Amino acid sequence: MVFAVFALFPVVITDPTTTSIAFFALVFMVAAASWNIFSGYTGYLALGHAVFFGSGGYALALLTSHLHVSGGWPAFALLPLCGLVGALISIPVGLIALRTRRHTFVVVTIAIFFIFQLAAFNLGFTGGTSGLFLPLPPFSAANFNQPFYYVAFIILLVTLLVSWLVRRSRFGLQLLAIRDDEDRALGLGVKTRRLKLSAFMISAFFVAMIGGLYFDFVGQVFPNTAFDPLFDLSIALMAFFGGMGTLIGPVFGALVLESLQQYLTLSFSSNGTYLIAYGVLFLLVILIMPQGVVPGVRDLLRRRRPAAGGGTLAETDQPLAGAAGATR
Amino acid sequence: MSNLIEVSGIVKAYGGIKALNGCELEVREGQINGLIGPNGSGKTTLFNVITGYEKVQQGAVTFKGQDITNSTPDHVFGLGIGRTFQLSRMFPRLTVLENMLVATQREEGWLRGVSRLAGSHSERSRALELLDFVGITRLAYEPAGNLSYGQRKLLELASLLVADPDILLLDEPAGGVNPTLINHLADRIRDLNADGKTILVVEHNMEFVMGICSRITVLAQGTTLMAGSPTEVRSSPAVLEAYLGADEEEAALDAALREELEEAARSTTSSVSVTSEPGDRAPAAGGAATEEVLLTLSGVCAGYGGADILKQVTLDVPLGGITCVVGPNGAGKSTVMKTISGLLRPREGEIRFRGELVSGLTPKQVLAKGIAQIPQAHSLFGDMTVLENVEMGAFTVTDRAVVRKRLAEVQELYPIVRDRAHDKAGSLSGGQQRLVEFARCLMLDPDLIMLDEPSMGLDPQTRTMVFDMVAQMNRQGRTILLVEQNARAGLKLSSHGVVLENGQVRLTGSGHDVLTHPEIGALYLGGAVEAAGV
Repeated sequence: MVFAVFALFPVVITDPTTTSIAFFALVFMVAAASWNIFSGYTGYLALGHAVFFGSGGYALALLTSHLHVSGGWPAFALLPLCGLVGALISIPVGLIALRTRRHTFVVVTIAIFFIFQLAAFNLGFTGGTSGLFLPLPPFSAANFNQPFYYVAFIILLVTLLVSWLVRRSRFGLQLLAIRDDEDRALGLGVKTRRLKLSAFMISAFFVAMIGGLYFDFVGQVFPNTAFDPLFDLSIALMAFFGGMGTLIGPVFGALVLESLQQYLTLSFSSNGTYLIAYGVLFLLVILIMPQGVVPGVRDLLRRRRPAAGGGTLAETDQPLAGAAGATR
Repeated sequence: MSNLIEVSGIVKAYGGIKALNGCELEVREGQINGLIGPNGSGKTTLFNVITGYEKVQQGAVTFKGQDITNSTPDHVFGLGIGRTFQLSRMFPRLTVLENMLVATQREEGWLRGVSRLAGSHSERSRALELLDFVGITRLAYEPAGNLSYGQRKLLELASLLVADPDILLLDEPAGGVNPTLINHLADRIRDLNADGKTILVVEHNMEFVMGICSRITVLAQGTTLMAGSPTEVRSSPAVLEAYLGADEEEAALDAALREELEEAARSTTSSVSVTSEPGDRAPAAGGAATEEVLLTLSGVCAGYGGADILKQVTLDVPLGGITCVVGPNGAGKSTVMKTISGLLRPREGEIRFRGELVSGLTPKQVLAKGIAQIPQAHSLFGDMTVLENVEMGAFTVTDRAVVRKRLAEVQELYPIVRDRAHDKAGSLSGGQQRLVEFARCLMLDPDLIMLDEPSMGLDPQTRTMVFDMVAQMNRQGRTILLVEQNARAGLKLSSHGVVLENGQVRLTGSGHDVLTHPEIGALYLGGAVEAAGV
């Protein structure tokens, strides 16, 4: 059902303003979902994922100009390569940042983020402040948004599939164990360092891929848009809003918050009123459902059906699916 | 008989303090090995060294002849060494069954581990089997964070068994666990041993250790004192000395403690019976208590919402003495203190301090009157330095000169406040922390000090030292109200004794009278001594 709504959305509603909002929402849904694969599962709050988002954009700009690839579908074909660039960059970043834990980790990721922003301003191949341009896709003005929308949608599906597979694997269970008590996990033979880095790389891969697509849509990439501290915060807040560490929570959070923000900005111009609405919504969620909307609603439903809730444990013939559900 | 683990010449220092100083350990294959020693002797540190949580400066650890010195925890586990933690640790937000599936299987490659589904059918049934073995199958789909302390201990043990380790290192499996569960744990450990698992247990509960171990190693101050059978360890004067200290002046108190230790060691099965003490052994404790009364409770009823915990409690705390409140678990001892300190408002009755009504005052006002309380263990701020903790005690005192003067006095009294001033309080041993708590309390120069279970979690030697300090505070003219689980040791120290049972005062008198009262042994001390579990 949800799938059909998303798949048919741009066919039914062709208004370019609305479809572009939908595209932006999808971009953030992918970003929040991939951020969640690392931060949500391991509990390590990474506030520097714009590093990979921007790197994806720069990677696509550089690849298209050096390989003389034209815009549109040929450029889209290079997106996995952008993802790989992001994953490669995440290796040294992860090796450094993952030496630390908790608050220190947060600060280190922010610091690394600013190093990348500075580098983008000052290195030759990034074009400095004048940025880089991406080739214009040969799509007609009326249907410009649709291809971007569908590519983003496919990337979202793949991201969610990977996130789901990770959650179901022993790898995912061990990531959750790291979140709960890393030292104890070590004592159970969990190779915490490798696992954290693997999750970090997967996370970076998808963020970089969607970053490439985003900047392809925008048409140009500048240091301050590629490496935007607001992006770091947004995806983390979206994941919190929907429910960190759950499969759907971050995606839901991104859908609600990004659409809302775009809509309010467009309707009331960017005079900041949207920030008030945004803040009120956030406070409400924190007050009512501190774990995020998705786990909060699930708890509510469970409490509504106490009889069924009590019986689920005994009824579930696939205990692990039920058990996984509790943390999803 | 071969050794599974051999530890030789380990030196582990934190700053200038040597936690382990040339310690040796041999763990016999196929046996249940015990590791004992007074608080701060380095038992847990040794566990951390073996399992790769701590790096050592000198010495070697071998497992099956292979060198594993300064390895990493995951590697050590992969070789077949599983361990539990003193305060049991698990993954609170995962379900019990998921907790069981976290452990990496031995000989599992990285890619296989990453790509593998969590919990194949065979793994799940194995996990359920193990949960059944420890007896918590019915909790399999509960979040582990909902388990009780004892259940966590069982889960922690079971989660290790998934990977089928060759040896289990158990850090205080019986600590903080009720007697039924202790027996259950002991049986499980014996079962595992019968299945061919080697076991190394650290434990304070002597009865438990002597009951299940075939070989015991004794640590004292970071070195190995001796190793041998339970009988050898029990009869070794050196071990008793390490536990009890050998100060002639403390002979009276020591004798009682020594007797308790021997008793615990002797009776591995039967419950401890209490014989009344011959009067000449009791010290004339409690200083010169006058008949003047400092604090009076009359007809106090108090509780936490539901039924009253205290039912018409009436008692006097004489000026300049040590008054000890004893009684079985749940008698209302701690509630008496909370009611006095203002944390709990009495529903009925009144409390007078120097004749002045103090019931109904806020805790801060009570403190200002000169009544200070030292709560049950672990009330220090672990991440703050010793000095900061002590200074915290005087935060209501505004006169800087007074604070400086008192700090100097306190440092004189407790050199540790000066010597370890800039170390984190959390890095001190249990006994040292108690002293810092005393120091913090004295910064207010209180007239009445209420001590809640000062000996809790301390080994006999440290306990003697702590009781000495209590007596010393009393000699300096402070009145003490003591709540003590270890009734015998507490009453010996005190000038006055009060027996509380089920929220009512059952017996009052001098410490010695209460201790030797014919009724008391049968009613209270039997349970109390057992619970003290030296």
